[in-house]
Amino acid sequence: MRLSDYDKSLINGDEGDTARQAMEALVQLGEAFDAPDMVEVGYAHVHAGMAMYLDDVGLIEDLAVRGAKMKVPVSTNIANADMGNWQETGAPESLAKLQSRAEAAHRAMGSATSFTCTPYWAGHWPTFNMHIASIESGVTVFSNSVLGARANRDGFFAVYAGLTGRYPRFGLHLNENRRPTHHVRVRARARGTADFTALGYAIGRKVQNGIPVLSGLSRRPDLDELDALGVGMATSGGVAMFILPGVTPPWDEDTDIASLKLPDVDIDEDDIDGVYAEFCNGLETGFEFVHLGCPHASFEELKYYAELLKGRRIADGVQCWITTNRTVRQMARDQGLLVPIIAAGAKVISDTCPISCHFARTCSPDPSLGVEPPPIRTILVDSAKQAHYVRDMIQCPTLFTTGERAVESAVTGRFQPRLRPND
Amino acid sequence: MTETKVTWQGRGVVKGQAGGPAMVSGSALSFLGDVDIRTGNVVGQSNDLRGRSLAGVALVLPATRGSAGAWRFLYQLKVHGTHPCALVMRELPDASVVQGAFLAEVPIVVITDETFWSSVKDGEALDVDGTAGSVTRS
Repeated sequence: MRLSDYDKSLINGDEGDTARQAMEALVQLGEAFDAPDMVEVGYAHVHAGMAMYLDDVGLIEDLAVRGAKMKVPVSTNIANADMGNWQETGAPESLAKLQSRAEAAHRAMGSATSFTCTPYWAGHWPTFNMHIASIESGVTVFSNSVLGARANRDGFFAVYAGLTGRYPRFGLHLNENRRPTHHVRVRARARGTADFTALGYAIGRKVQNGIPVLSGLSRRPDLDELDALGVGMATSGGVAMFILPGVTPPWDEDTDIASLKLPDVDIDEDDIDGVYAEFCNGLETGFEFVHLGCPHASFEELKYYAELLKGRRIADGVQCWITTNRTVRQMARDQGLLVPIIAAGAKVISDTCPISCHFARTCSPDPSLGVEPPPIRTILVDSAKQAHYVRDMIQCPTLFTTGERAVESAVTGRFQPRLRPND
Repeated sequence: MTETKVTWQGRGVVKGQAGGPAMVSGSALSFLGDVDIRTGNVVGQSNDLRGRSLAGVALVLPATRGSAGAWRFLYQLKVHGTHPCALVMRELPDASVVQGAFLAEVPIVVITDETFWSSVKDGEALDVDGTAGSVTRS
């Protein structure tokens, strides 16, 4: 690998021991993937340090204790407890306290402690052609596909990118790997974020790790729908980038897609319906949990949920969470949006979500924390991503419907399935 | 005839040396979902190692299945002491597995030499050298 003088100075330890450790790791990663050199990183979205996994917060604390500092703007990914509001979630205090140690460590390193899967709604908005590193696959797909930034599906090494401002040039950092592999012909109407997660989920299942170029959408999806679309693909497949002509930079929207001779994938109403049907295996009455806001809700989505909940009341025996990040929650509070939500009996939770908190059964928290996942019969959701991971991580049945119908379900205590567009 | 050491040269992906009994799989493994991190047991329904423990073995795999969270589960196996001592792969694993192996200090060597794949046997002792990029049957 060709290393710059700066890269070499990091390896020499000129910038401290943690920067040396980070750079050595990045060089090994680059050598594994035949990277010719390092790129300059403009932003990194990194591991929070997770209290639900044994010794995982320690990974972050270890760097902070040794004096590590972030070299570029850094935001932190979703965590395992709402650190300011853990009582409302039923989490043990011990878990919240441990999670807060990761927050303190990140602050010491200069990270923006966003603790969210949607840092863009908190103002972390990388720009066209910026090389970034992200631990969150939803951030990776949104950045590549909507913003035109360049990101791989990364793991812990996003922290190393943050500590050095460097990352090996491979994968989606190279133009040659940003070309479409499948032509997805959408013959279905998707409306709202839940539908777009389902559409994305259906696409991801068919194209796996590919880069789909989409045609057939009847209109330009709004920002929340674009986010939902990518998140759905990243959940069922390994999609790190999609191309939507007219949206994805720098794709030329006059390109004749048929001339590219890509394999065709058709998505129709039945494919979207099938995703909803797959995750409707729970109790139609007797569900006790409704979750809204996966990925973490934007300000616009909170406006939408507040409007739906205005003057309503969540049914007895049902708990309703809306999850978002701290910044959006503060903006919503300032706007008066939390009043109708809280008056209806719903909760606005930040930093975590059902699948990331103490509900998950597949984690391995330190036994001394006393974490006991509560028994939950059925979780009703408005996102294919949340449904997928509720099944795998909380391991309870799900009901999946649109945001509007999910709120109606929460209020009536009876499942309100999605209506097909022509119903 | 006496047993002689045989060494296959491949590509070192994650540095370090480790040795252990080979556990040979014909299925692509997903560290997120296929493995119980507390016990190291393979629990994935479709995996041919189902019911066996990865703890301490030189895991011989055709491929890994992608998940961006794979790194965390490989690292968690290390935290719980249930990790494989090394990985020998037919193809390059995805970046998340490489990152997890690096954190867990589990060397990875990619071997494309068909004589390795046609002769490697479950249970035989393998020395994996991720720095030299070699695998030795001892």
